[in-house]
Amino acid sequence: MARYRSVRDLDWPLLLLSVAICLLGILQIFSATYETDFADAWWKQIVWVVLGLLVLWVMSLVDYHYLLDRAPLFYLLSIVTLVVVLVIGTKVFGSRRWIPLFGGLRLQVSEFVKLVIILVAARYLTELRTERLEARDLLKLGALVLVPVALVMKQPDLGTSLTYLAILGIALFLAGLSWRYWLGFCVLAVVLFPLGWSILKDYQKERLFTFVNPSRDPRGAGYQVIQSKIAVGAGGLRGQGVTRGSQTQLRFLPVPHTDFIFSAFGEEHGFIGVVLALGLYFLLLMQIVQNAQTAPDRAGMYVCMGVAALLLFQVLVNVGMVVGRMPITGIPLPLMSYGGSNALSVFAMLGLVNNVRLQRFVN
Amino acid sequence: MEPTEGIHSTRRLRYVARAGVIWALVIFGKLIYFHVYLHPDLRKAAQDQYSGATEIPAPRGRIYDREGRNLAISVPAESIAINPKLTPDIDIAGEIFAPLLDLDPEQLQERLAWATENRRGFLWIKRRVTPEESAKIRGLKLGWVEYYRDSIRRYPKGALAANLIGSVNHAGAGNSGLELSLDKELSGKPGRATRLLDAQGRTLESTVVKEPRPGQDFGISIDERIQFMADRELATGVRENSCRLGSIVVLNPRTGEILAMSSWPTFDPNAKLEREDDQGARLNQAISAPFEPGSVFKVFTLSAALETTRLSPESLIDCGPGVMTLFGRRIRDIHAYNTIPMEKVLVKSSNIGAIKVGLQVGEERLYEYITRFGFGTRTGIPLPAESPGKLRALKGWQKTSIGSIAMGHELSATSLQLALAVSAIANDGVVPKPRLILWRQEPGSPRKEEPVAEGRRAIGPETAVKMRQMMERVVLEGTGRAARLIGYTAGGKTGSAQIFDPAIRRYTHRYNASFVGFAPIQNPSVVVAVTLNGASRYGGLVAAPVFQRVSTEALRILGVIPDVPPEGSNREAGLTEEEAADLPVADLTAAPAFEEPKMPADVRTALNIPEHDVLPVALGSSEETPIEAAVGSGARADAQPATNFVVGPEIPNFKGKSLRAVLRECSRLKVDLDYSGAGLARWQYPPAGSVLPAGERVRVIFAR
Repeated sequence: MARYRSVRDLDWPLLLLSVAICLLGILQIFSATYETDFADAWWKQIVWVVLGLLVLWVMSLVDYHYLLDRAPLFYLLSIVTLVVVLVIGTKVFGSRRWIPLFGGLRLQVSEFVKLVIILVAARYLTELRTERLEARDLLKLGALVLVPVALVMKQPDLGTSLTYLAILGIALFLAGLSWRYWLGFCVLAVVLFPLGWSILKDYQKERLFTFVNPSRDPRGAGYQVIQSKIAVGAGGLRGQGVTRGSQTQLRFLPVPHTDFIFSAFGEEHGFIGVVLALGLYFLLLMQIVQNAQTAPDRAGMYVCMGVAALLLFQVLVNVGMVVGRMPITGIPLPLMSYGGSNALSVFAMLGLVNNVRLQRFVN
Repeated sequence: MEPTEGIHSTRRLRYVARAGVIWALVIFGKLIYFHVYLHPDLRKAAQDQYSGATEIPAPRGRIYDREGRNLAISVPAESIAINPKLTPDIDIAGEIFAPLLDLDPEQLQERLAWATENRRGFLWIKRRVTPEESAKIRGLKLGWVEYYRDSIRRYPKGALAANLIGSVNHAGAGNSGLELSLDKELSGKPGRATRLLDAQGRTLESTVVKEPRPGQDFGISIDERIQFMADRELATGVRENSCRLGSIVVLNPRTGEILAMSSWPTFDPNAKLEREDDQGARLNQAISAPFEPGSVFKVFTLSAALETTRLSPESLIDCGPGVMTLFGRRIRDIHAYNTIPMEKVLVKSSNIGAIKVGLQVGEERLYEYITRFGFGTRTGIPLPAESPGKLRALKGWQKTSIGSIAMGHELSATSLQLALAVSAIANDGVVPKPRLILWRQEPGSPRKEEPVAEGRRAIGPETAVKMRQMMERVVLEGTGRAARLIGYTAGGKTGSAQIFDPAIRRYTHRYNASFVGFAPIQNPSVVVAVTLNGASRYGGLVAAPVFQRVSTEALRILGVIPDVPPEGSNREAGLTEEEAADLPVADLTAAPAFEEPKMPADVRTALNIPEHDVLPVALGSSEETPIEAAVGSGARADAQPATNFVVGPEIPNFKGKSLRAVLRECSRLKVDLDYSGAGLARWQYPPAGSVLPAGERVRVIFAR
């Protein structure tokens, strides 16, 4: 077990930045669900954030090496749970992602699997102890990650499974995978594209189509993108104010408290609000990267970078989706979007980062 | 492990960071683009989708009669719409609405399906529902049903003057009559409300941006009491004579004000237009259906003669032996009048006399006077679909045309034109402009009187006086004796023009029976034109009694003081009171003409009167113009003077029967059949239940 040093050793900037982002999120959840059936979502989110901070605290206490040691166990547990989800999971909006808990609460297992994948990747790459990554290692790690990817895709949840791939990609890149392999991936992607295309669900294909051309079906699949763009643009420089955004309040914007929370935020707080939010994310990521650089070992670096990569990926994909630069994949905005599983898993990751920081003087 | 070990990793880390920053910049740029550059456009796009405009219908203006009685009003009503996006189940919605709102379930279901497929946020279920229907739907408390303010057009007097006032279509716009011609003024300006809509198209709040401006009210010259009576008399006259069409115009010859304008067939403007063929009932026969006026026209020929020739009412006209030859055509009178004063030409309605007078006037001057009286041009009454009638330009006249036109053929005129032309005689020579609209009123401002248009002089006042005296004699001792009023003097002229059937290219034994006259003789207060199209008898027998009833009633309603003692009128007619009792037309019909010997001589005279009034036209002739048709005619009319009154076999309803069945039926009834087409009987003449005039054939058209 890690020794807890002192309160002063905690990564305070990291903590404050993440709580600030959460507060913006809670404000927007309040506004977006104002006078709707979900009007109590904002204080539920507060509860989640508080619980998240608790998780962060716990994760800071446990030495990450201890967690890395047990990564295979976590991995097996994840696979089993994902299979269980597919069998008994609760179906919402046509996909089976949740395990019902007590009191109507649901747990989205795939959110926590992100954490496990970070650990697995960090451990595997740490144990290589070589400068160059062999093809054998590549295949092994690839196979390890592709199992949960396939299971999550089956739910179906394209966004989260892509997130896993993003973690894998960043990890491989940092581990020094040769450029030749990257070229190979590109060729493979082109070749396998038709195959992958046939695996995609109809609505997923439709999303990709409309990503290319949203006005293709302005009332159908392109609707969300168009409404999102209108919302962002309608915000202007200063925004329309809390509970004042017409796109958000009149329900033109789909799910304005989860996936499209950033559009709603952009509409109600304008460019100034958006700059503030993205600035906070930037600082948060910089803080994590700084932790990576000062990590006591490669494992710590990989863990931090895995978390940073994951957060960056999610933020960019989500915001990219909001402004029409990314297809709609249903990736929530970390720390802002409403959702307990997401909040807990992000805070768990931040706890891991904090843990790495606390361990920097161990050696 | 030393951190230095990961040189590779840190370099790669920088790559990742750089890629992240670049991607972040792209998205950041995109955000600036949206928030700043596209802001105005997207802001508008947002506004467009959350604001909806609704039109608030303006109440339609009212139409009042001359005494301020309501003829057409607008009552508030509600229209029912739904938001298909919010409708939980469109099938159930259809099942709810169809029976409660009396809608066709299939049609409704189709519309609902269409609106749902097209993701409409709005669909009218039914516009302008009755308060009961609205209450029924409201009682269900369905959250997805919307109610809109609207108004419904009501005609409190039902079919009264329906063809004149017109009606409105399903959208509330005028589609006939005054409702059509004054549609713009009556409809006002709709107001506007903006609604705040959510993504489902649900109205969150509604603000009136512009109040609707109600339409103008109009007062028209119609007198409801006279109109009611005219409508009633026309209906009676049409039914009693099994006519197809008819019209009555009552107007004030001094001002041109239309006091009543009746048209048959008519319709109930409150009822929805069910079928296409109902459209015909909306025609205003008095202005839209010109016909050959026939003998009525002799009035204008003689007026022209008084002004342009040396002829006076006393001038003798040689009508010869009842036959004359004009440019190779033979024209007949029913009796040989020999030499009679011109006055008698009118009284007896001599065709030969009229032609001779017309020849003296000459083509050019006759044409000039006809146009002066207003024939061939629209009267300008503010009603839709007015016909100018047909008057050939002078250069289009044939040599024989002057003969035809002198007795009212080869041209056509509407009842209104005839009434206005006779008004000139009643009004000391001036044809008044027809006046229908008396005033109009913008909501909130005072009434504006419609200016009185100057009339146009057709003849001199002295001519008018002479014509009035002559026309009085028509009523007193001529073909118009059935038009004698009780308590008032009157003048007029009968007319019966055979109807030319273009289908069989023959003149039929149906007549445009008309009577146009005025009363009283001194200072006439009303001019009444009665036309019954398709009558089986002559104007003097069919239209004159209608004129008599309408004029008497109208004068009484207008409070005109009687100018003769009630019994006086009959004495002047040379009939005893006892004989007068036999005079009504009803008795004449009941007593077939071939029972003549039993009848008093006076009645026989009365019976003979109308025969003089008709242009004898041979059935066998296939010529097109009446004059040509008249060649070699008259024999039949002479031999069987009153065959049209004979009670013949009653004709059954053939409609829908096969040719074989119709032939069997006809041979049983011993009637001749003219038929065309194949399939099932679709049209028949005479109509079912009526009597076939002797010598006529039953005509049936078959179609599949």
